[in-house]
Amino acid sequence: MDKDKKLIDENSAPEIESALENTSTADTDTPLDKNIKLMSPTQMVVRRFFRSKLSIIGLIMVISLFIFSFLGPLFYTKWGEIELDESGQIEYTSETVQITTEDGKTVTVKQTVERKLKDNFLAPPSSEHILGTDNEGYDIFVRLMYGGRISLTVSFIAVFVITILGVVLGGIAGYFGGVIDNVIMRICDVLMCLPGIPILLIISTLLDAANVDAKYRIYLLMIYLTLFSWPGTARLVRGQILSLREQEYMVAAEAMGYSTGRKIFKHLVPNVMPQLIVQMSLSLGSMILYEATLSYLNLGVKPPYAAWGTMINIISTNTDILQNHFNVWGPAGICIVIAVLGFNFVGDGLRDALDPKMRR
Amino acid sequence: MKIVKKIKARLLGENNGNEIKSSGNSYLTSKEIRAISKANAKVMLRLEKYKNRKADESEFLSEMKDPKNILEIEDLNTYFFTDQGVVKAVNGVYFEIPKNATVGIVGESGCGKSVTSMSVMRLLQGPQGQIYSGSIRFRAYDYKRDGHGNPIPTGETAENGAPVYETEEKVYDIAKMPINEIYRIRGKQIAMIFQEPMTSLNPIFTIGEQLDEVTFIHTPGATKEIAKARSMEMLELVGIAAPERVYKAFPHELSGGMRQRVMIAMALSCDPRLIIADEPTTALDVTIQAQILDLLRELKDRIDGSIMLITHDLGVIAEMADYVVVMYAGRVIERGTAREIFHNPLHPYTIGLQMSKPTMDSDSDKLFNIPGNVPNPVNMPNYCYFKERCSRCTAKCSGDYPCMVQVSPTHFVACHLYTEEEKNG
Amino acid sequence: MDNKNNPLLKVEHLRKCFPIKKSITGHVLQELVAVDDISFTLNPGETLGIVGESGCGKTTLGRAILKLHQPTSGKIIFEGEDITNYKSAQMREIRKKMQIIFQDPYSSLPPRSTVGDILSEPVLVHGIVPKDKVKDYVLELMDKCGLRDYYYERYPHEFSGGQRQRICIARALSVNPSLVVCDEPVSALDVSIQAQIINLLKELQQSMNLAYLFISHDLSVVKFISDKIGVMYLGSMVEFGNKKDIFSNPLHPYTQALFSAIPNPNPDVKMKRIALAGDIPSPANPPRGCRFHTRCPYAKEICKYVTPEYKEYESGHFAACHLLDEDKK
Repeated sequence: MDKDKKLIDENSAPEIESALENTSTADTDTPLDKNIKLMSPTQMVVRRFFRSKLSIIGLIMVISLFIFSFLGPLFYTKWGEIELDESGQIEYTSETVQITTEDGKTVTVKQTVERKLKDNFLAPPSSEHILGTDNEGYDIFVRLMYGGRISLTVSFIAVFVITILGVVLGGIAGYFGGVIDNVIMRICDVLMCLPGIPILLIISTLLDAANVDAKYRIYLLMIYLTLFSWPGTARLVRGQILSLREQEYMVAAEAMGYSTGRKIFKHLVPNVMPQLIVQMSLSLGSMILYEATLSYLNLGVKPPYAAWGTMINIISTNTDILQNHFNVWGPAGICIVIAVLGFNFVGDGLRDALDPKMRR
Repeated sequence: MKIVKKIKARLLGENNGNEIKSSGNSYLTSKEIRAISKANAKVMLRLEKYKNRKADESEFLSEMKDPKNILEIEDLNTYFFTDQGVVKAVNGVYFEIPKNATVGIVGESGCGKSVTSMSVMRLLQGPQGQIYSGSIRFRAYDYKRDGHGNPIPTGETAENGAPVYETEEKVYDIAKMPINEIYRIRGKQIAMIFQEPMTSLNPIFTIGEQLDEVTFIHTPGATKEIAKARSMEMLELVGIAAPERVYKAFPHELSGGMRQRVMIAMALSCDPRLIIADEPTTALDVTIQAQILDLLRELKDRIDGSIMLITHDLGVIAEMADYVVVMYAGRVIERGTAREIFHNPLHPYTIGLQMSKPTMDSDSDKLFNIPGNVPNPVNMPNYCYFKERCSRCTAKCSGDYPCMVQVSPTHFVACHLYTEEEKNG
Repeated sequence: MDNKNNPLLKVEHLRKCFPIKKSITGHVLQELVAVDDISFTLNPGETLGIVGESGCGKTTLGRAILKLHQPTSGKIIFEGEDITNYKSAQMREIRKKMQIIFQDPYSSLPPRSTVGDILSEPVLVHGIVPKDKVKDYVLELMDKCGLRDYYYERYPHEFSGGQRQRICIARALSVNPSLVVCDEPVSALDVSIQAQIINLLKELQQSMNLAYLFISHDLSVVKFISDKIGVMYLGSMVEFGNKKDIFSNPLHPYTQALFSAIPNPNPDVKMKRIALAGDIPSPANPPRGCRFHTRCPYAKEICKYVTPEYKEYESGHFAACHLLDEDKK
């Protein structure tokens, strides 16, 4: 064995010694390292997002709805949201009129009356009205755009409020734990027990009694809805923070002596963001559904203002429309489906793209 | 406006005032990304189809080069098709495992040692991970089969009552086998022991159930009693003092060392001819590691099989292995018997590796270290991968990748230092 | 204050328990004693190596000293101040003098910050240098730790384990600490990188006069870097002394077994092992008497019932074992 050892020593001793002297602790950068091209974090997310065809489809759906609702009315100005088409057709009716003449005789006269209807309702699709008109004589295509504006704005506002409430309360619960955590989580439990729709009905009646402007009542209702929906987000944030708190970089932040606010808002919250974005895009879909439900139940946007839910609501009053006039309620339904599907596809895509476990 | 100016000033200040070299083109452009994924998709589809094809046995039957070997790996290339480019995780690897020998594969993380074992087991995660080319020849015992593909019993029964079937020896080329034929080998002829004993056992089944299952799957006609007898025998074999208790236990009731013993028992219960141990002791404590190593060494003689031991710990290799294969960045850079590698290491990397490990009897106050980092195996250059970290590199090293030089009948090295020597001598 | 004569860190009878079972009223029913009655001193510029197997409480010890866990009892005296009962606001000032490096370089760096942000944040928070000089200071620090200046704008995921560990070291040193707790800093790294990091730590120790509490399960690494060594088993210190004493004359049977269990990278030398039977008992339910008696090859009757005393056998060489007392008699 010793012999073997000597053999190496003789062969390689000078080199090894010189190498020993030269050992630098510096991290030398080799051209091999420079050859490597990596993706930036954004690139990785984008790449993974676009790998799935569904998320591309979802993105296209969502973007086209946005363009349709927000830019559409700027270019298609033929009709307004609450502008009635008053170019009704001429209707001829014949009626019998009994006239008493001067000499006391009664004569029956048949008379044709020409009457012009004021509103052009239930018109079929034509060049004048791309999707026809509804039972009041409003242009459906234009109302679809305005309805989209309401639906999208309302659900965006709702989701933002939910997220802010959820992050603050969930973050506090998760970070401090103990009694605070217990109190916040029990509030969550209570809120999740309350039945949503019955309470909404009551509130809606109250709003009616208070004579709230039809334009704003949907916003008030959605604010109420957010107050009931934040527990989901709060639980998500709390769970995330509980697991992130155990990560060593959080212990390192503690060891660095950072203040509590810095630890929560500079180190914890940014790392919850991916999950939050996913949650937000998924709940956008459900908020649109909520808005539609409310409007359908006549609790939300009230006529003459348009919302997708209100537009479908027309069928509840007139079964003839349900059977014979698909163009009145169909497009609104399709819009709702596109919006919800689109947001869900985007949400799923984002989850796959942002999940670090998917990282390769 | 003021804010805009401020931001502008800050940006300019940062750009002018500091000598930070911008990371420049260290990120891929979207054009390059698209080109990569397009090229990958094509190859991945072809290999995936090849993997899932139906094939006749004759297509993957082969011949051993040396009848003494149980496994021969020849020019194996395993690639991962990632978004950042093709990672040649295993790049032209040659080595063989003789009968009744322990072959240690040593290297640092990312050198392809685990991927090699995954290739042998065909456990690569598709469609990204694929065997690109090469052959893995394995000498397998297989049951003789009748016309319907059922095994033919000899009419005898083994001690524990299990029926015995006629067997024959065949050499399979694992790399060419379709994935649905791999059951002939995986688990039965080649068994694997993993690094993490904590996560390799299913937490909701008892140890007994998991052990029995192996027998049920791989022994035709096994009954419950046979399986249990077999499991108990295996638990005793791996030195578990109270096999009855462990048989009924759930994985979480056992310690790490015990779980690793159970994993070994599970690997042994089908009489494998080759055991692949992928870092079997890395997750264990030193005193437990010593126990497991002793056990493995003892078992190898008893079961009449070979062990492929993958580890980064040179000490473990020295204790266990008869032959050593040193890998670096997806290539075998040196291989030989354990004595050759430890007493007469030739490749500068092997030498550096041995010197950088602090030992119990060294007394210097500075450790030898190899500068630089283990390279990321995307876009590898043509020259020796170790060149940038090597303290003995010569002008020749900028040339082609060095080929394997045979120094002694069993000792091979891939380094330009020795190609010269051979020419001179 | 003259630091040369005063120890930097003095730990007296430190104990840390974690509750594992609580009644509804919050009363602790069962607890896990992670660190049990540990005392030692550490001088400025010295390295104390703590060796032990998993579950022996070495990580808890390190964190309790930094007060990342509030100790249950005992005293921690740092630079002459008793910091045991400091509130977190008081601790914030002390934090810049004691730092920690973790085992896993992957989870100990925040994934969404650039290297520059990670390193300059502590400097800004503690006001180490004026705001306009922070960047230069950080760049100088990166150079010291062997990091290229253009890494400043990169994200942690772009680096290999060794480079990440360098970033961790740079972060810990950014506040000019005098004590660094190294919690298994090299065990997740490759052999060739391990050597780089150990050399870097040694170099920095000399240039910055750092004291290390070096926690590791790898005896050979500890031997290389330490001046003093403490061996822990199931929460208590079984042996403590200067490196030379421990290695030339290990007193405790556990220390001897640990030495013999290390694989030797020489295929011709098959070490004679002191075989330790069985597994490490669960720290939640440690054996009575001497904690090591269940695995000790020399265990006697007395070991089962009486906990051995931790005493000084040679100058500066402490151990806790009944066998040693008998030898003296």
